[in-house]
Amino acid sequence: MNLFGNAVRWRSIAKEALDRTAIVAKFLCLLHVANTYICTPTLVYGPSMLPTLNLTGDVLLAERVSHRLGKVGPGDVVLVRSPVDPRKSLTKRVVAMAGDKVTFVVDPRNSDRVRTIVVPRGHVWIQGDNIYASSDSRQFGPVPYGLIEGKILCRVWPLDGFGSLNH
Amino acid sequence: MVVGSLKLWTNLVIEGFQKSLSIAKFLCLLHATNTYVCTPVTPYGPSMLPTLNLTGDLVLVERVSTWLGKVDRGDMVLLRSTEDPRKVVIKRIVGMEGDTVTYLVDPKNSDASRTCVVPRGNVWIQGDNIYNSRDSRTFGAVPYGLVEGKLFWRIWPLKSFGSLHEKAKEDS
Repeated sequence: MNLFGNAVRWRSIAKEALDRTAIVAKFLCLLHVANTYICTPTLVYGPSMLPTLNLTGDVLLAERVSHRLGKVGPGDVVLVRSPVDPRKSLTKRVVAMAGDKVTFVVDPRNSDRVRTIVVPRGHVWIQGDNIYASSDSRQFGPVPYGLIEGKILCRVWPLDGFGSLNH
Repeated sequence: MVVGSLKLWTNLVIEGFQKSLSIAKFLCLLHATNTYVCTPVTPYGPSMLPTLNLTGDLVLVERVSTWLGKVDRGDMVLLRSTEDPRKVVIKRIVGMEGDTVTYLVDPKNSDASRTCVVPRGNVWIQGDNIYNSRDSRTFGAVPYGLVEGKLFWRIWPLKSFGSLHEKAKEDS
């Protein structure tokens, strides 16, 4: 009699646990879909976008709709998968689109030499705002548009830089 | 009489809503499977002859290997085009990062060949039909981040049904 009662209680506990797990799983799925197709927060750090972005980390909101619609243009700060290490994502500014001529200082720390290049079809030219400490298209060349993962909307943290990146 | 038909309408609307909700859930599951697990693809074009036909093939592409990094030389992969980001192309990986690749620049017109090293984070892709294929010989090595899936099975035509992996050459 006792054994039967225990079995019934275990079954109802298991059912409740399964229901709660299903709710959590549904929420995580929804979160994942929103992060991949609508908007996601990202933590970025490093010196290559000074003074726009801080050295020790900012939380930015990146939207994932514009690049699918082709609405990424010069001046936009974008999230780009690195062409040099596919496990990393970079945050840089788009300086020129396909077909544009871009003139850039090759190595500003050591010389004043400039080069001019035409950006090939299907590619974009990205540069960090801090050209003295940024590894970008000046080193690895124009980047295929297909590597762009999102466009930065605004800064969320730290709070004194909250809002659009152009302050 | 009016109240009766109002109730009928409400029931119809609720039933319609529930049916479309279950259809939406099914489509979401299908989309998730296509994006993260496996998806069918109908390739067309001459650049992968004789492996893939000009038209009419149905192949399966799995998305797990690229995410785990288990893509290597000899694999046929689906990747986003470097020339038009709205297109997706199928080519074979001939060299991984660090490899030295020797290739015929323009086999239709000359025997000239060139050698280069594949840069870090990139892969060298070529179509099986080098006489009619725009690939790394034209636009250079391609960043690995553009690789979206690996071809592993052909469904149609039925006489070629089966695995697309290259079998090891046997001694004859």
